[in-house]
Amino acid sequence: MDSLITTAARALAAGDPLGALNRVALREDAPALALRGIAMAQLGDFDRARILLRRAVRAFGPKEAAARARCVVAEAEIALVSRDLGYPAKALEAARATLEAHGDRVNAAHARYLEVRRLLLIGRLDQAEHVLSEHMLADLDPAPLPPASQAAHALVVAGIAMRRVRAGEARAALARAGEAARRAGIPALTAEVESASLVLETPAARLIARGEERPLLLDEVEALQASNALVVDACRYIVRSRGVVVSLATRPVLFALARTLAEAWPGDVSRDALVARAFGAKAADESHRARLRVEIARLRAMLRALAGIGATKRGFALAPRRGAEVLVLARPVEERHAAVLALLADGESWPSSALALALGASQRTVQRALDQLAAAGKVQSHGRGRARRWMTPPVPAFATTLLLPAILPGG
Amino acid sequence: MKRSEAEILREYGPFPGVCNVAGVTFDGRHAWFASGDRLNAFDPASGEPVRSLDVAADAGTAFDGRHLFQIAADRIQKIDPHTGRVLATIPAPGGGGNSGLAWAEGTLWVGQYRDRKIHQVDPHTGAILRTIESDRFVTGVTWVDGELWHGTWEGDESEVRHIDPRTGEVIERLDMPTGMAVSGLESDGGDRLFCGGGNSGKVRVVRRPRRNAAAGGGSATTIGATAE
Repeated sequence: MDSLITTAARALAAGDPLGALNRVALREDAPALALRGIAMAQLGDFDRARILLRRAVRAFGPKEAAARARCVVAEAEIALVSRDLGYPAKALEAARATLEAHGDRVNAAHARYLEVRRLLLIGRLDQAEHVLSEHMLADLDPAPLPPASQAAHALVVAGIAMRRVRAGEARAALARAGEAARRAGIPALTAEVESASLVLETPAARLIARGEERPLLLDEVEALQASNALVVDACRYIVRSRGVVVSLATRPVLFALARTLAEAWPGDVSRDALVARAFGAKAADESHRARLRVEIARLRAMLRALAGIGATKRGFALAPRRGAEVLVLARPVEERHAAVLALLADGESWPSSALALALGASQRTVQRALDQLAAAGKVQSHGRGRARRWMTPPVPAFATTLLLPAILPGG
Repeated sequence: MKRSEAEILREYGPFPGVCNVAGVTFDGRHAWFASGDRLNAFDPASGEPVRSLDVAADAGTAFDGRHLFQIAADRIQKIDPHTGRVLATIPAPGGGGNSGLAWAEGTLWVGQYRDRKIHQVDPHTGAILRTIESDRFVTGVTWVDGELWHGTWEGDESEVRHIDPRTGEVIERLDMPTGMAVSGLESDGGDRLFCGGGNSGKVRVVRRPRRNAAAGGGSATTIGATAE
């Protein structure tokens, strides 16, 4: 607790890292090193920031455990923002526990939020949701977190909701985030919320119904899922109706048949057309027709709870149960490697071996597809070698905000 | 050296809009505390806020009977308590890094936090007259009845200490309960010590024990109270 540290910390909190540096640039004591580190991080010099924070950790005395823990949390945030997702989660968790034990709720909450953000970034949605719900329980405390923390927290909630196609929840969380960001008075945070909000105004899918197409926003996709319609979802390779979901993600042929039948509904589809779409054959010969009969029988079995498949004079027609409307949901732009993208559409991270297994394709084929998709910015990976995982890019700009914990007096 | 648990008589706050209490002082009627961008006065009887001055107030606070002295960044400001106007500024010792501030008999006493020192400073020029070493981070500093007291805050532990102003020897230690920090210190001229509570946003009152007159050093030259 000294005057220059307090002034510098105040400058940092007000978004003035240069002002903070001016106060402590020449000081080598632990709190000054920590503040310099955070200021450098805010200025984007992550390497220098990391070195300063590590020096600060060493310079703090044995009794200053909370101050050291704050430095660890700051370093974890820098790692996250520079996409070093291999940052040891254990160190962060230990720092969080230390801060909690020292009654530093704000920074403990910040550490938890970083952990959730890391889980979101590496596609562990279930775990992220789990930690977040525990976090909310732990936060049933009368003293509210500062606005910047509230905004960051709401952004993570929105990110998970978007991945889970819960548009209403995402919208509400973004509204909270925007409000909190304004109260925090940090322009970068407000800009981040705005750019995240753009995702909700961008078509998330394409609706194909009775021969017509139109783009759908995430809200509309969510509404569709709650409707009674029979939805053949080509974003996820599933067929869904009234809460019943049949996944065809690992059965591309069956999915192609289902989609073709759904696009023609209420009409039927000729055998030739089905063979062409599902098997890629130009003309159907007798063996194709035999195979079609087998595959239709399989599809019939899988969709039994949702729809029947009736034979017509020239082919087959879909007959949804209880007279439901039939709709097809497709990606906004149809592209190659749709099957790979469909598997990744769950927002989780996948090893390429699991993708190959699910698609019944060779690892090499899947790897080639992933490389092409990565080059086009449609997928991204983290980890190296066998630990490498693939996923669709995170909801835009969710990992850029650098909030860094307060290194205020007491530390 | 005598060592005992600090007896906490009363807690004020947390005060609205205050997340951090730095220096504290007492003008004979109201207690003042620094909270970053302002100085706040409250009535020690009711605990109610009375008024505040918009001045940079990062660390120690003192009162010489007419003016408030306040550490802001690397300066010590002399402030008119009625108008909040800064009347004069002197450099703080060591260019910053200071915490506590006390006034006694014509000089200022400044705690230098992590350097574990207390400087006696000329209030007109900022020149360092002498320096006392401590073995703990120094926060608040105050004089009462010829006794020099200061707060310590290291890690999670705080003490209120009575030291010999010539040698720095610790005469008496009051241990604060775990997690209760002492960021600023001021006597009310009697048996009560106001303690800034750092990021708890509180001000606490600790009882100053009566001591045997023969037990400690004291200083013949700096007997004085900080209040009118």
